Amino acid sequence: MADSAQSNPYKAYWIAWAILLAITVTMLAAERLGMPRWFLILFLVAFMMVKATMISGTFMHLRYEHRRMALMVALGILLTSLTLFAFITPESWHVRERSAPNAQP
Amino acid sequence: MQDAHVAVMDAHWEGGASPFGATWQKTMMWIFIVTDGLLFSGLLCGYGYLRMASQTAWPHQSEVFQIWFIALMTFILITSSLFMAMSVTAARLGDRSKALTNLLLTIVGGASFLGCQAYEWSHLIHEGARLTSNPWGAPQFGQAFFVLTGFHGSHVLSGVIILIITAIRSAMGKTPPQGIEMAGLYWHFVDLVWVFIFTLFYLL
Repeated sequence: MADSAQSNPYKAYWIAWAILLAITVTMLAAERLGMPRWFLILFLVAFMMVKATMISGTFMHLRYEHRRMALMVALGILLTSLTLFAFITPESWHVRERSAPNAQP
Repeated sequence: MQDAHVAVMDAHWEGGASPFGATWQKTMMWIFIVTDGLLFSGLLCGYGYLRMASQTAWPHQSEVFQIWFIALMTFILITSSLFMAMSVTAARLGDRSKALTNLLLTIVGGASFLGCQAYEWSHLIHEGARLTSNPWGAPQFGQAFFVLTGFHGSHVLSGVIILIITAIRSAMGKTPPQGIEMAGLYWHFVDLVWVFIFTLFYLL
């Protein structure tokens, strides 16, 4: 493995690039297959996270950094985003119900 | 016990410690990336809010965009990231010529992406898309589109400018490998953000 990396230090990037393109094509195809909406959302979000992990891990070398660094970056962004999303989702539903044409004043 | 604690605190607070096992430049770059990531996280959550709260049906992406064109933009950005990663590795290995060549290819990729985005914007504006209205449905769609892609596009533009400066300095032998690595981290971040915009805005 180490020998392979030494003989061609760029190989890992080409592999990551090929996988990223394959995932992108799969996502585009999935969007046209007419899957149930909830399944399509799960499918696309899962592949989106795989792509993000590959870019940050391989291209940005985050998997070679100190674990604390990787945790600070990944958890910092993910937890904040999820918290924000968790709060705005019920609020957005509330706003939609309230602004419906037959809503109670 | 107390003395040991004081010694440990002194060792950290007097400088020289590296809790993330990286240089201060790289640590600062990552902290910047986290803060910039939070900016896009806020924008994407705002987009989610607008979409979920909308009374009017959200336009179906395939009616508005030519998805093959967006796929081409994605291909360009992913490929430019590949060249950037190879440039960083070549610089670390001391192969300046290869590092510069890959850096230039990355710049070409970034400029091509910007060209595609300019075409997409002008096409949609010509079709009647505005910040407050659009011919396809929910008026918030225009806001979400222009704000999200506009912020991302401005990051791509600044990334291209940073890469051009890095390439010129690298050609003059003034940029150390670490300088190319920092520019590379920013460029990959721009690609990373596009992954989220592409999925959440163009596909879902």
